Amino acid sequence: MPETSYAVLGIFDTPNALMAAIPKARAAKLGAVEAYTPYPIHGIDEALGLRKSPLGGMVLVMGVIGALTALGFQYWISAVDYPIITGGKPIGSWEAFIPIMFEVTVLFATFTAGLGMLFLLNKLPFFGHPVLASKAITGITRDRYVLALEAEDEGFDSTAAAAALRAAGAVEVEVLPAPDRSPFLTSAFILRTLGGIFLACLVAGVAIYSLTKWFPLLKPMVYMQDQPRLNAQKPSAFFKDGHGMQKPVPGTVARGHLPTAVGSQDASANLVNPLPRTPDVFAVGKKVFTTRCEVCHGAVGNGSGSLTSAYGAKAANLQSQQFRDYPDGKIYWAIVNGKNAMPSHAPYLSERERWAVVHYVRALQRAQNAKDEDLKVVAR
Amino acid sequence: MRTDAAQAGAIPEALLEPALTVGTVTPGSLDDQVLAFPETKPPRQWYVGLAITLTAMFIGLGFIGYTFVKGIGAWGNTSPVFWAFDIINFVFWVGIGHAGTLISAILFLFRKRWRNAIARFAEAMTIFAVICAVIFPLIHVGRPWLAYWLFPYPNQRALWTNFRSPLLWDVFAVNTYFSVSLMFWYLGLIPDIASMRDRTTSKLRKTIYTILALGWRGAATHWQHYEKAYLLLAGLATGLVLSVHSVVSFDFATSVVPGWHMTIFPPYFVAGAIFAGFAMVVMVLVVVRETMQLKNLITMRHLDVMNKVILAMSCIMGYSYMMEGFTAWYSMNEFLHHGFMNIITGTYGWAGWVTISCNILIPQLLWFKKARASYFWMILVAVGVTIGMWFERFVIIVISLHQDFLPSAWRIYKPTMTDFGVLLGTFGIFFTLVLLFARVLPVIATTEVKAILPDAQPSHHGDDHHA
Repeated sequence: MPETSYAVLGIFDTPNALMAAIPKARAAKLGAVEAYTPYPIHGIDEALGLRKSPLGGMVLVMGVIGALTALGFQYWISAVDYPIITGGKPIGSWEAFIPIMFEVTVLFATFTAGLGMLFLLNKLPFFGHPVLASKAITGITRDRYVLALEAEDEGFDSTAAAAALRAAGAVEVEVLPAPDRSPFLTSAFILRTLGGIFLACLVAGVAIYSLTKWFPLLKPMVYMQDQPRLNAQKPSAFFKDGHGMQKPVPGTVARGHLPTAVGSQDASANLVNPLPRTPDVFAVGKKVFTTRCEVCHGAVGNGSGSLTSAYGAKAANLQSQQFRDYPDGKIYWAIVNGKNAMPSHAPYLSERERWAVVHYVRALQRAQNAKDEDLKVVAR
Repeated sequence: MRTDAAQAGAIPEALLEPALTVGTVTPGSLDDQVLAFPETKPPRQWYVGLAITLTAMFIGLGFIGYTFVKGIGAWGNTSPVFWAFDIINFVFWVGIGHAGTLISAILFLFRKRWRNAIARFAEAMTIFAVICAVIFPLIHVGRPWLAYWLFPYPNQRALWTNFRSPLLWDVFAVNTYFSVSLMFWYLGLIPDIASMRDRTTSKLRKTIYTILALGWRGAATHWQHYEKAYLLLAGLATGLVLSVHSVVSFDFATSVVPGWHMTIFPPYFVAGAIFAGFAMVVMVLVVVRETMQLKNLITMRHLDVMNKVILAMSCIMGYSYMMEGFTAWYSMNEFLHHGFMNIITGTYGWAGWVTISCNILIPQLLWFKKARASYFWMILVAVGVTIGMWFERFVIIVISLHQDFLPSAWRIYKPTMTDFGVLLGTFGIFFTLVLLFARVLPVIATTEVKAILPDAQPSHHGDDHHA
């Protein structure tokens, strides 16, 4: 049955016999002529009339692309995205990029030559070629030289091809049947594959789960971020109260701070504000007041800060007569020790800042209850 | 046996190229001889060898594990000798690899047909040597699981690598070298694996070889592209082999350390690499030739030619050492003077003399034809060169570093047990891979040897083609 055969193989013992047979086989015009040999034979390309391999051009193009890619990448990184001066050279100096340009050129060119030859030009891997299933293949990869007349259309006559090859000197002739074209992707195969993948995932999952369960502390490496230290806001089993951050020991004085006001508020009434009334001092006082006091006491100190409604407790109205009559020392005492719901501000404010706030509160009180002579001061 | 005795004619016999094989070798007998190894049970001596190399390998892996747990402090490296065994061994192993690429690529371009029989083994040794080499930079970074930081990739730290650093050039050079060597090796293996696929009877082997051979069927249209690809790869690998060790030498030459800052470093390193690599190839090939009965394919002529290469490289090394001394003297720079005198008279002066004797003096034996034809002498030289080249890197790295510009920082470097253990381990890894390779893949490129056998090429084409 000539129409079902793929090719006829003529087997030769020596390269000379093969080379002699090629012109005869081509002249017979019975099908496409192809040779199968255990190693490359000199001159067979010309004998078979093969076109020159385009691989050289492909490799050249990809090599140039590799060089330009490396140059562009290095230049963009070193001069544009992350400019860094090395050895006092200009950031765009390209001479130092040459070694990597060379390496990338070779890498691109090599992969083009190797993979381009295998995958693009030779169309490998291809496990279903009829020649691989032939009896002659064991000879082809060993010491036999095979000339094939391959069917180009339905009219391929295998008997005539076999006769032509015998006439050309073939020691043996093998007719290759047409390849079996049964579908590769049957539903059973797909199901088996999916099942296999599922099973593999299952096994891997169970294995990883049990490994991490049995060896929960399996840490081969120690990262710098994994340190046995306390974080300020984290709980700690080390201290009795369970807090990571501890309060200072009572009586601790921070560097640069005077001891906080002690005793009762009344006892502090006689303290005198040591700071002069200068714009600098008022600036400090204003900054501290807006940072620390304003949320509760309000911008002008009238107790209507934004937090008071949410907080529940009503902050003191510093504009009230009671506080306008307060001596400086009592306001200072309240800042340092806190009063009622107000916490102590001693840890946050330096001695100078505390007194500056006192000055500022006084200024607020005076500004909200201005008298005629105050205006005169401004007018002057 | 002379291949072309009949047509010798006017050519004197002494100039004729001797046969590449001994005795009658046909393509079929070649397959039966070489491809049969993976199909037979290994001999006892193979198991003994494997046991030894595996022991060495696991000792080394143990010490590497110890390094991971303990940190780099497990080594002797300390100020000012921050580079010691790790970089010595790295340079040493990368160098060993160079012989393989030289044989497979440069000799291919020169149409040295004798290379075909030894190219496969030499290429395999290249790959194994580079595997051993890359271990050292990886463990020297201290946190090897972060070694991917060596590559420039976009990251959330918004950092890029410094492309003006020779250490980064090294990353690219060594990775390219490994990829290209692997590609070259695998392309060469494909037709051989196809031969093995078609002769094996075991189903498992058949499956593995079928996949690895990618369905190679020896078509003339395929051979055409294949040969072109092989030629291109040889050309590319030639440039590469010269560049890789040059780049390695830049690690030193671009610094200002006295004894490193020299323009002769790149050629000097490349010559040294080929020198050390050939010594290793000679050592391994002698063993392979004897134990695997390949005397008819790896002939005494191969060993003779390789010994001549070793001799030539030894002379280049001698010149380089003299140039180093000359540069030190001519520079009139007291730091260079001091550095050079350290090599021959300093604390490590003995290492300098080991280097000079093993690399320059002992290889001179190879001027004698008898030495080139005797296992004893050639192995002696090869072992000497291997030791000498290791010590050469020790001299360059440790002697230069331990006394540089600042006398108050000088310190004597002492390697620790871990240093030696890791070095032993890489020898174990290298020879384990060599032994495994010898059992599962064709040790000789049968396809390439078939192509150069007598009568392998059509007669009306033979002469004008390789003229």
